[in-house]
Amino acid sequence: MKFLVVDDSATMRRIVINSLQRIGFNDTVEAGDGQEALAKFDSSVKFIITDWNMPNMTGTEFTKVLRSRDDGRNVPVLMVTARSVKEDILTAMEAGVNNYIVKPFTPQVLKEKIDALLPAAAA
Amino acid sequence: MTSTRAHEVLYESEAALRLVDQELTGLHDVRDVGPTAPTISLADLPNILEQANAQILNVLARLRESRAALQTTALERLQTTHEKIREVTTATEDAAINIMDACDRATQMVDELDAIDAEAEPDREKATGIRATLRDELFLMMGALQFQDITSQQLAHASSVLVDMEGRLLEVARLFDHNVDVTHSLRVSGAPDEKTYDPNATTRNAEGRQALADELFTSVKAPAA
Repeated sequence: MKFLVVDDSATMRRIVINSLQRIGFNDTVEAGDGQEALAKFDSSVKFIITDWNMPNMTGTEFTKVLRSRDDGRNVPVLMVTARSVKEDILTAMEAGVNNYIVKPFTPQVLKEKIDALLPAAAA
Repeated sequence: MTSTRAHEVLYESEAALRLVDQELTGLHDVRDVGPTAPTISLADLPNILEQANAQILNVLARLRESRAALQTTALERLQTTHEKIREVTTATEDAAINIMDACDRATQMVDELDAIDAEAEPDREKATGIRATLRDELFLMMGALQFQDITSQQLAHASSVLVDMEGRLLEVARLFDHNVDVTHSLRVSGAPDEKTYDPNATTRNAEGRQALADELFTSVKAPAA
């Protein structure tokens, strides 16, 4: 299963990708912002993990564009972000994010959220 | 006092200063005109001085209000920024300590593995367990590096406050001198892009904040994947 990991922090991309590899997902592609993610997204991507705060196109903007596309309507989007006030979480939900992880996160939380969304990704 | 009110006061002060400048220029023009121009009698002088005095008092009052407004807004924002920078220091230190602790534990485990290897009949099962724990420790060390992303957002916020403060100070300086040199202004190099950081980013209470997100995603119907 291919994961698209979107974050402007190279450190965070590496942490997320290493976490994915640790739980058995080795097929990953990465992007530094929403625009790059859109360019790299195709039907082979089955799961997206995205940050919120990024230059050019934020994670919520990216998710909205993705949801407007036929091939991106149903792909699971997990947001991993430092933003954690109620309004932000609701905004992410409205944009079409399927679940939400607050930074800094533990590998256990990441695994739980991915596991919960895997059936939709496999569909 | 809000930032908007501070701006209003600043512009009112500028308007008052321009008014005084206009008045003084007017007086200057009267002084410079030739002998054919109407002369000002000595009897008018008290009125003129009274007017000038009133204008100057008005300007001083405006300037005092501006100073107070700027002081309040600046202090509030600088206080927040100061706290953010202190949090960066704490987060960095916490992460460093966590990583050092993990390094200590990892080193102990390597020593244990060496000891097992040195035994006449090495306990392979025990060694396998220690290796698994060692991998977990190394992985946790990597996770501790998440502080870098959060502290960089906190520093970006602090930087944006400094750029904003500089802008306010430049506006005050321009009241007195329109030719203020802005060549080396922080604005020239640009404030951090607001899209790239969260002003409230923190390393604190991650569990509590995650619980809030989970609660919202459970209580409000999340979009189906």
